Amino acid sequence: MTWLPFALISLWLATFVTGQLLFKRAMESSRKTGFRNRRTITILTAGIAVMTISFLLNLGLLQHFDLSYLYPFQGSSIVIIMLLAAILLKERVTPRLIIGTLLIAAGVALVSIS
Amino acid sequence: MTTNRPTGFRNPWFQFVLNIIGVVVYELLLKAGASATSDPEKGWSGFGITALTSPLTWLAIGVIVIDLIIWLYILRYIPLSIAFPLSRVVDVLVPISCWLILKEAISPLRWGGIALVIVGLVIVAKPAAQLEERL
Repeated sequence: MTWLPFALISLWLATFVTGQLLFKRAMESSRKTGFRNRRTITILTAGIAVMTISFLLNLGLLQHFDLSYLYPFQGSSIVIIMLLAAILLKERVTPRLIIGTLLIAAGVALVSIS
Repeated sequence: MTTNRPTGFRNPWFQFVLNIIGVVVYELLLKAGASATSDPEKGWSGFGITALTSPLTWLAIGVIVIDLIIWLYILRYIPLSIAFPLSRVVDVLVPISCWLILKEAISPLRWGGIALVIVGLVIVAKPAAQLEERL
């Protein structure tokens, strides 16, 4: 059954990226209104919940694959997070940052496949 | 530069270094815990949950919780698009640590990957340095 590992790796990536975006959004909110704000608490709780699912998926994948096999997928998360931070969080992403991030992602993939 | 810039232990870049050390530690602990509880005969059943029977996994969870608090603090001050790529410095530190401490061999291809990550980090470090001026 080859689709199952692919689906689980995709789900792991999606939950990991979503969790990071929620964390950043929660911290932005906390800087404006503090930690006792309902909005901050809600976003932070959602982030922790999504990250917990991601963590369990990661554990399960580590039981079946080498860390080095999973690392290239983690490498791709660098690019996805940078792009989504620019689109969803309106962070300023310069061409220099894009080039640097692409090189890091390529390097991470190369380190793990070698 | 504003006067509310956190300094000393609360400096986000100092916390960033602590976070990186934490990531290296928990990645190794997680792999050790997952490997210790892996049972190939069970296939995909008990996916992930069985790893929780290992004390190493729980030690990793402890480090992850501390690391998460540090990471949230970092995200209060540093954009995700800069902090996350820079956090991948662990992908250089782990193989180099294995080479230096465990005397593991590193293939030319892997050195090439490490070099690419280092060049990428240097390029990303410029926007990070500009951000430091604004903190």
